[in-house]
Amino acid sequence: MNWKLPFDIPLITPTLGLPLEFFSILGIVVFVVHISFIYMLIGASTASVIYNIIGVFKKDKAYDQFAYRMTNYTTVSENMGALWGVAPLLVISVLFTGFFYTAILKVSPHILHIIYGNIIAFLLSYAYKFSWHALENHKGFHIAIGLSAVLAFFTLPFVFMSMSNLYMQPELFATVNNIWDIMFTPVTGFRLLNFFLSAFMATGVVMIFIGARWVKNGDVEIGKIAISQGKKWFIWATPLNIVVIPLLPFVFTPRISEALMHTGFIYLPFVASILLIIAVLFVLNKFKEEVITPQSALRAVALVLVSVFLMATTREGVRVVSFEEPLALQAEATTEFMTASLAEYKKYKEEMANKPAVDMNDPVQLAEAKGCLACHSVDVKLVGPSYKEVAFKESDKGIIINTIQKGSVNKYDVIPMPAQDISNEEAEILANWIMSLKENQ
Amino acid sequence: MFDYPIFEMPFIGQRMLMAINAIIHVFVSHGGAVGGSVVLAAMAWWANKKNDMAAYNLTFKVVMVFFIISTSVGALTGIGMWIHANILSPNAIGGLIRVFFWKWFIEWIVFNFEVVLLLLLFMTWKKNQQTEEGRAKTVRIGVYYAISSWLTMVIITAILAFMLTPNFDGQPWVDPTVYPGNVDYNNALFNPTWWPSLAFRTFTSIAFAAALAIMWTWIIATFSKNEEDKEAKARLVKFLAGIMMITVPISAAFGYWYYTEIPAAALAMIPTAVMTRAFEDRFDLMYLMAIGVGGSIIITTIIAYFSPKRMPYLAASLMVAGFLILWGYEERVREFIRKPFLIYNYMYSNGIRTTDVPYLDKVGILKHAVFLDEDKKVVKEDKSNILDVGKSVYQIECRICHTVNGINGLKGLTAGWSHDAIRNRLNNLPGGGTPYMPPFVGTEAEKDALAAYIKSLNVKGVIK
Repeated sequence: MNWKLPFDIPLITPTLGLPLEFFSILGIVVFVVHISFIYMLIGASTASVIYNIIGVFKKDKAYDQFAYRMTNYTTVSENMGALWGVAPLLVISVLFTGFFYTAILKVSPHILHIIYGNIIAFLLSYAYKFSWHALENHKGFHIAIGLSAVLAFFTLPFVFMSMSNLYMQPELFATVNNIWDIMFTPVTGFRLLNFFLSAFMATGVVMIFIGARWVKNGDVEIGKIAISQGKKWFIWATPLNIVVIPLLPFVFTPRISEALMHTGFIYLPFVASILLIIAVLFVLNKFKEEVITPQSALRAVALVLVSVFLMATTREGVRVVSFEEPLALQAEATTEFMTASLAEYKKYKEEMANKPAVDMNDPVQLAEAKGCLACHSVDVKLVGPSYKEVAFKESDKGIIINTIQKGSVNKYDVIPMPAQDISNEEAEILANWIMSLKENQ
Repeated sequence: MFDYPIFEMPFIGQRMLMAINAIIHVFVSHGGAVGGSVVLAAMAWWANKKNDMAAYNLTFKVVMVFFIISTSVGALTGIGMWIHANILSPNAIGGLIRVFFWKWFIEWIVFNFEVVLLLLLFMTWKKNQQTEEGRAKTVRIGVYYAISSWLTMVIITAILAFMLTPNFDGQPWVDPTVYPGNVDYNNALFNPTWWPSLAFRTFTSIAFAAALAIMWTWIIATFSKNEEDKEAKARLVKFLAGIMMITVPISAAFGYWYYTEIPAAALAMIPTAVMTRAFEDRFDLMYLMAIGVGGSIIITTIIAYFSPKRMPYLAASLMVAGFLILWGYEERVREFIRKPFLIYNYMYSNGIRTTDVPYLDKVGILKHAVFLDEDKKVVKEDKSNILDVGKSVYQIECRICHTVNGINGLKGLTAGWSHDAIRNRLNNLPGGGTPYMPPFVGTEAEKDALAAYIKSLNVKGVIK
């Protein structure tokens, strides 16, 4: 296989002596929280636009109010989703530094869309929420703002998923050269399909739950809308997702899919699908009931959450089997490089220690030490004139000293000489030397 | 840097790409979040204590502006700093995360408190404002929000200070001759510029946030249809100006302390950092500028305090602009004086570790450049690929600060230079008036190739 991997950072990984499994579990937990908020963000922002439109067409205030309440969920989940997205990245960037950063660089600058595109989406979603009452009589314009916020949010997974698919399949580092090479591949398409289905599924079940709570707290009308719409979302998205989920482990490169087959992780998506089947049957069973108790809605939420957790664990499994070989290769290459580099560095240090000190009274050594020879030489014009040319043209030592200390412009060439940090005595030594070159001619 | 894929940002270059994000983030995080949280909590506390409901309601409108900007632009450009740093120099940010991982993790936990408290403050304000108890609760949330905001700055300031002054009492934070390097975490954290820069940033943030709050109070009240807002404006502006009168002198004092802790080699870079290369000899202009901008801030503050009603809008926005200029410069200077290093004495600006230099000088910078094509790594006998090799060297060593034709473009910088002049200049990059440049790293053949490539930017075809 054509592996192209950067070296590891030559500093100890600060694991505090904890096993790698600890970081795997930490990574899974923070990822589940992150992705749950992101699912809610995608679903709630979509719902807040759809039910706003329905409210307008049905001329029903209750739908409008339901849509408005969903913007609170958008606000909370966009903030918490972004925040909890940082933690998984922090963990992987300390453990698998080279892989993560290589993937980011390969999809640059498009990856910056998750920053700047996100800012735009945030601002649009705030504009949508906070102008709700002010634009009450301009619904068309208001819905356009909401729709553009939703569309902006929808673009983000495409970019981020491309990066993470590249990161998880390091063998592609050699062949993928830009974001499109990885975005338009079955693995990204399939995982995005799963992502959006999961988002609508999760939002559906959460809508049932919050609807049940609203009914219990007396908001019967809006609560009933949330319950009935939540059921529809859930029953529409979940069966498709049940089919997609068990296929997910097989969309990665053959090396990874094959390796995954020999681990326990391969069973997890099937378990997740079975849990979702139970959840679907549970919701179908109560489909006709207008009102559901929060307790029974919570059961459906719990089933969905466990299935999300299982999928996150599968994802970590993919990471584990995928990285085993390249991590070993990287460690070996890094050790080899650092051994050679440090041997050379120690040799250099010894040479430096044995080298005689620079004699600052010797003009040639002084000129070298002060960097004069970067631009000048004795015989040939380089960036600046040769010293012989200077000696030939200038008769006054004072001018040379002045030029050394303060710089000059347009004397010999258009390239200016910057002022140099050189003392009076040193400038004197250098000027005497330059003048002496004239006599040698 | 040589072992990562090459990404070149066209025209503006990677440095400017990072700078844009960094400047936005510094303004919003310091003015909006860290200083803003303190100022907003103080406004709520003061209005509630004086039982001034008009001022309390006006404060909420200011909170809303700060909420929108902090959570969107502020938080996301904060994550952006990391992603941009990754694009700029993966080895540098990778190293920093190895050193500061747990501190960053703690910062993230504190950041959770900050975001949740800000959401709570904003989303429960209206519900809580009816009763005395509710308002006291809002003030309490504001105070906790301010504390958690400040704590997030504590850690990140340590990391920035570490990049400038990684060593402490002559004890190295890591032994450069050992692999893998065993980091002395406490030494890295308690570096000499941490406390002064933290103190300086804290009080400047509060002063800046107060200036921002004055501007927004002014805008909101002036365009409000509510008479109460207009009437509360002067009282709030006076209170905010009072905050500035306390914090501006304190931050100046801490700024001086910070200045005294900066190493001498870095101090020598200040004239170039402030005035840019073209004006580095006119350092006197900097004093004039600092006096002008600082003076106008102080005068506006005094007007706002003693005559808040007559405070013109132009003055309020000028004050904010003054802060933006001063702060933008402070950040530029801090980033610049670290040159030619990214982490002082450990890693050069272009991501090459100082300890790797002797080895890379021997085997070549391109030998381990895994992401480059093989035929662009070594110059062939007939020299047919010399420009490709030279371009590879440029991409690895120079591109982090230079572009070909855009900002700091090599084409313009070497216009009219002979091949010999370029070749000779590469022998001593930190000399010749550019002490902020790292040395050339690589073999003599690679130096030849780079010189040929740079020459080819102005003169088509290969010379020599």
